[in-house]
Amino acid sequence: MLVYDVQDVVKTYPGQARPANDHVSLQIQEGEIFGLLGDNGAGKTTLVRQMVNLLRSDAGSITLYGRPVAHDPLHVPLLVGYMPQESHALNNLSVGEALFFTAHLRGLSRADARRERDALLELWQIGDLRDKYSSRLSGGQRRLLRLAVATAGSPPVLVLDEPTNDLDPQRRKLVWDVLRHLNGERGTTIIFITHDAIEAEKVIQRVGILRDGRLVAVGRPSDLKQAVDRKLRLELIFPPDSSPDLPPGLVRREVQPGRWVVLLDWSDATTVLGQLNLAHLDDFRLYSATLEDLYLHYATLAEAPRISGSSL
Amino acid sequence: MVRKPPSLLVQLMDLLLIELTNWRWSWRSLVITGAITPLLSVVALGFFARDSGRDTLAYVLTGSLVMSLMFANMGNVRSHFAYLRFMGALDYFATLPIQRYTLILAVVLSFLLLSLPSLVATALAGALVLGVPIALHPIILAVIPACALPLAGIGALLGLIARTPEEGSSLNLLVTMVLLGLGPVMIPPDHLPGTLVALGRLSPATYAASALRQALIGPVTGQIVVDLAVLAGLTVVIFWLVGRKMDWRQG
Repeated sequence: MLVYDVQDVVKTYPGQARPANDHVSLQIQEGEIFGLLGDNGAGKTTLVRQMVNLLRSDAGSITLYGRPVAHDPLHVPLLVGYMPQESHALNNLSVGEALFFTAHLRGLSRADARRERDALLELWQIGDLRDKYSSRLSGGQRRLLRLAVATAGSPPVLVLDEPTNDLDPQRRKLVWDVLRHLNGERGTTIIFITHDAIEAEKVIQRVGILRDGRLVAVGRPSDLKQAVDRKLRLELIFPPDSSPDLPPGLVRREVQPGRWVVLLDWSDATTVLGQLNLAHLDDFRLYSATLEDLYLHYATLAEAPRISGSSL
Repeated sequence: MVRKPPSLLVQLMDLLLIELTNWRWSWRSLVITGAITPLLSVVALGFFARDSGRDTLAYVLTGSLVMSLMFANMGNVRSHFAYLRFMGALDYFATLPIQRYTLILAVVLSFLLLSLPSLVATALAGALVLGVPIALHPIILAVIPACALPLAGIGALLGLIARTPEEGSSLNLLVTMVLLGLGPVMIPPDHLPGTLVALGRLSPATYAASALRQALIGPVTGQIVVDLAVLAGLTVVIFWLVGRKMDWRQG
């Protein structure tokens, strides 16, 4: 069953010359885990805000279970749990209160909302925070609370904007495990934005890559990887405050301060490694292509072709 | 896939409780700041008007009560809607199956409840300092919300239309001063130029002051029906505008 059908959506913010979303088309099937990747400003949040009906599209259409999202204002809220990137709505509620009220406002009876609160506290491993106020939680604890709030009332669709931001590795693993559990046990359709491409690869079934407002690739990671299959990922770590000393002609990208990634053809690997000045490097690693490389490949292409969004 | 939204009553009660929790830590300071300026105004204006007769003192008292409602409702609601808007909190509410007007009503009611202690404090202190005898009429129960709602609605509107919270704050101060100065709110009409009295007929503060005067000091006349009708009409129009301006779901 088709959950979301996004057709030719365009959105330009007032005063901006370039559209934030430029003729984006995308289909998401029931029970999918779909990841949206892209640089900052690529248009990911704009797209999901239109999908949850918080933002009006200038052109195109978005339907949820066959009905236009803006047709009935209650259609999306009844079916979709949305976690925005940032929110301070629940600052003065305790964790338990936030979960109870959200579940109750999603239509559960008081008794069911109380049961849902207890189940979510256990599922997201935040039982010890039940009586703590949201404003006094750490960034990671608040992120888990907001994820639990998005899942309150068991909506059949989840739209999550950067669910693992601010989280330590242990909690990131918890998030991916819970999302996989919700998808496997309840068939929840999950759409999320992430910059954490390497970890997200463990759960993503299909991926869409946005660049400058355009969807430049969509499909299963394994299928899309064929485009970069003949590539190797060379990761180079330079000492702090030193400029990268790289052989000329390499397309490089700084993914973190001092950490650079270069995609190499297999045939060039030996030559490039031979040209590296190891005295100027803290470390280097060579891998086969990952989902992050896929993202880097499509996000950095000079003239990327627009790929149609049909479900594979 | 059949899912039902909660009833309007459930929405309103839950949202009211959520809004009331916003004041867990700040209610004392909000009550004090809501009372301090009106109390100072009672003392200062009362001192100047002490020889002007009971009617003038009645205007000082009820005008100060309107001022108290403005600080505790219009100003705080403005500030809260700016917070909801600029901190992304509206997204949380807009993605729940609730009606926008229940959220607006819940915010306004939570501030109304919070404004009652400063209102009572101003009334009691004012009556004591000014020596104005209080003759409370039961219609006060309808008058207080009728006065507070349009003022809170104006505050919400300012919070939603201002480009920045700072701009909203300046606008709020300007509107407060204009509404208090326009028409017979704190000063009797015979002490004001005719133009101001005429312009005052466009201001909710004039009708609020008139209704409070009748319900608190008496006598209650047919004018109260006009006052309440105008305040109710203004509430409907302003709330409609607030709903239109609120960044909510599309469609």
